[in-house]
Amino acid sequence: MAGKGIADYVRGTQVWKSIFRHGPPENARNRAAVVAGNVFLHLHPIKLKKSGVQLGYTWCMGGLTFFIFLALTVTGVLLMFYYRPTAEYAYNDIIALKEHVPLGIMREIHRWGAHAMVITVWLHMFRVFMTGSYKPPREFNWGVGVILLVLTLLLSFTGYLLPWDQLAIWAITVGSNMAKATPFMGHGGPGAALAQIGDFVMVSDKNDVRFQLLAGRFVGEPALLRFYILHCVFIPCIVAVLIAIHFWRIRKDGGISAPL
Amino acid sequence: MSEELQLHLNRREFFSYLSVGWITFTAACAGMASLAFRFSYPNVNFEPEMEFLAGKTSDYEEGVDERWKNGFGVWMVKVEGKLFALSNICTHLGCIPNWLPAELKFKCPCHGSGYYMTGVNFEGPAPRPLERYAISITTEGLIKVDKTKIYRSEKGQWDHPSSFIPV
Amino acid sequence: MKEIINWMAEPIRSFPTFAILFFLMLKHYKTVGTKKFAYISLAVFFPAICWFCADPNFIKIILWPDNIPINILIITITFFTWLTLYKCAENDNRIEAGQLPLEALPENREKVWSWPNLVYTELFMIIACTIFLIVWAIIFKAPLEEPANPTWAPNPAKAPWYFLGLQEMLVYFDPWMAGVVLPVIILVGLILIPYIDTNPKGNGYYTFAERKMAITGFMFGWLVLWIYLIIVGTFLRGPNWTFYGPFEFWDFHKVEPMYNVNLSEYFWIKIFNTPMPTSLILREIPGIIITVIYLLMIPPIIGATKFGKKIIEKSGQIRFYIFVMLVLGMTSLPIKMILRWLFDLKYIIALPEWELNL
Repeated sequence: MAGKGIADYVRGTQVWKSIFRHGPPENARNRAAVVAGNVFLHLHPIKLKKSGVQLGYTWCMGGLTFFIFLALTVTGVLLMFYYRPTAEYAYNDIIALKEHVPLGIMREIHRWGAHAMVITVWLHMFRVFMTGSYKPPREFNWGVGVILLVLTLLLSFTGYLLPWDQLAIWAITVGSNMAKATPFMGHGGPGAALAQIGDFVMVSDKNDVRFQLLAGRFVGEPALLRFYILHCVFIPCIVAVLIAIHFWRIRKDGGISAPL
Repeated sequence: MSEELQLHLNRREFFSYLSVGWITFTAACAGMASLAFRFSYPNVNFEPEMEFLAGKTSDYEEGVDERWKNGFGVWMVKVEGKLFALSNICTHLGCIPNWLPAELKFKCPCHGSGYYMTGVNFEGPAPRPLERYAISITTEGLIKVDKTKIYRSEKGQWDHPSSFIPV
Repeated sequence: MKEIINWMAEPIRSFPTFAILFFLMLKHYKTVGTKKFAYISLAVFFPAICWFCADPNFIKIILWPDNIPINILIITITFFTWLTLYKCAENDNRIEAGQLPLEALPENREKVWSWPNLVYTELFMIIACTIFLIVWAIIFKAPLEEPANPTWAPNPAKAPWYFLGLQEMLVYFDPWMAGVVLPVIILVGLILIPYIDTNPKGNGYYTFAERKMAITGFMFGWLVLWIYLIIVGTFLRGPNWTFYGPFEFWDFHKVEPMYNVNLSEYFWIKIFNTPMPTSLILREIPGIIITVIYLLMIPPIIGATKFGKKIIEKSGQIRFYIFVMLVLGMTSLPIKMILRWLFDLKYIIALPEWELNL
């Protein structure tokens, strides 16, 4: 009974009461208060339909995607302490991460987490489709979700270059050369040959979309820096905003879908 | 009556100021966006030399020569009385094909495009032959390869006098 | 036996097999979606997979670090596909019997507290996911190859696995189609799904019977065209992007003849026995006509059929034409694949002069 006594004492202190303004969530009033009064928990509604909490119905894939996104943010920030995005250092920094840094699995968690996130996003979309959850009133949120799916793939793709090994550089070479073939906007795409006045080529390898992506004509050091910024700052910011919209709309559109 | 008209005009005036305001705002946003877009295209970048001297014509034997492949991305090919500088960038997706001397062909590891020694594609997904670079002889008798000028077979440019050196 | 599987795995045979299996699965979803079926197939496939894994070449591809996610993907997708069919079958049987679907039962519509019902489920899933990731990270090292070398491409050079479906499409289409146009069609199509599918049924519960067309279309694109191509691109494409069976050693010298012919060559040289016309448009006119027919004639023809009329009546002209165009975009891939396998067809329209190859 001593443990109970200590727990009761801690709950009675001024410090505890200043942090948790309600009693333990053992009765209806406090269960409402804990969800409504906590900045993180209030993503949830206070009550929801029973079908919406069943794992067999939701598979929890959306929630896991968000969790993995947070885990990737944390591990990513930790990795940034040891990584320099230059052709000279990048590869050696990755080796150092494995060999000279305690908890040498940080990069593994980040990499496998990225792959896992792609899988959970796909399965989330699969579930949402199968339960018809894109139907009115949730059409807009489905669109936001599709864009988030693309951004997830782009995040993973930009991160793929950062180890600066053979796997990275050639995967990005193949991928970015598809941008070269964009109609009218890439110099190797249909329409580019038509945009030519005499000897003056309007769409060349120095001003097309691939050049913008790589800051060069091939995957080199400027591309590494550009992908690093896209991976660590640019795309995560957009994703964060869209996740906020996505969650907000789930609540506003009536929570997890259920039969009308 | 006149008072009502006054009110009406005021409201109309108000809306026209508002629309001028919105147009200015949109224009400013568009201007900022295009500046940011232009910002992503640097004026100078530090990529390898586009021109190099590739020795004398007598240095090359019949067939494919790989000595400039790693430094400059060029195969020197001497075949059918012509010496030309063949680009080593696959026309499919920009991988680097390998020269397979046993099979007398270039084979791209990414998607399996194959090219004859002349650079003409014959298998796999490559849409067109490899490109050739401008090649000339300097006054000192050395070969100069200029990678800024490209000659493409399907445009009929391989007959251009500066796309090869007769040997 | 292994030779037969190697032979069967080649896309020309495995793609139709996979597609037929897919349609059989949907046709008999009530049989597939039972626990009995799941246990029996587990009992059949588990020893088979063990036997597969005893092969050194097979296990080498399976255990290559960057292929682990695909193994996980295959396992999870198999399970979840079965799960949705199970749920669909359950609900459809109830609806047939005149009952409400499970999710609509009063006890499931009842509201429960988020704390503890939802919050604890989430906590449990988070802990499970964390443990899973850490174990995965300890067992499998993240791959790191030699330092980047822009003058030498490894063989084979592969994109990240989730783009291998696109890379596999590159075998059949030019980059501007496989890398730009088709992905854009996929994305636009996905975003437009809620606006095209006007069927009000099946909102918030699993059902197949009430939305057969939507689910068939989506699952076909998702399982047959996307996941299947990823599996082929990952496990069955070796050096030079040549096909290798699951038990085959990745021999760098395996030569596969790939002499592909353009439609214009078929048309002018083989049929009319004349040299190719010099005028570009005239040369490619058969392909251009076929493409125009495909894109502009097929939609109104479908619209005139009984099936098309029904859709137009239900959802309107604009929705119908957008829907048909998206479906035509999707089916262009299997069509091109089949043409390639049957006729060694390279391009329907071949205009390398304008970089416009189709």
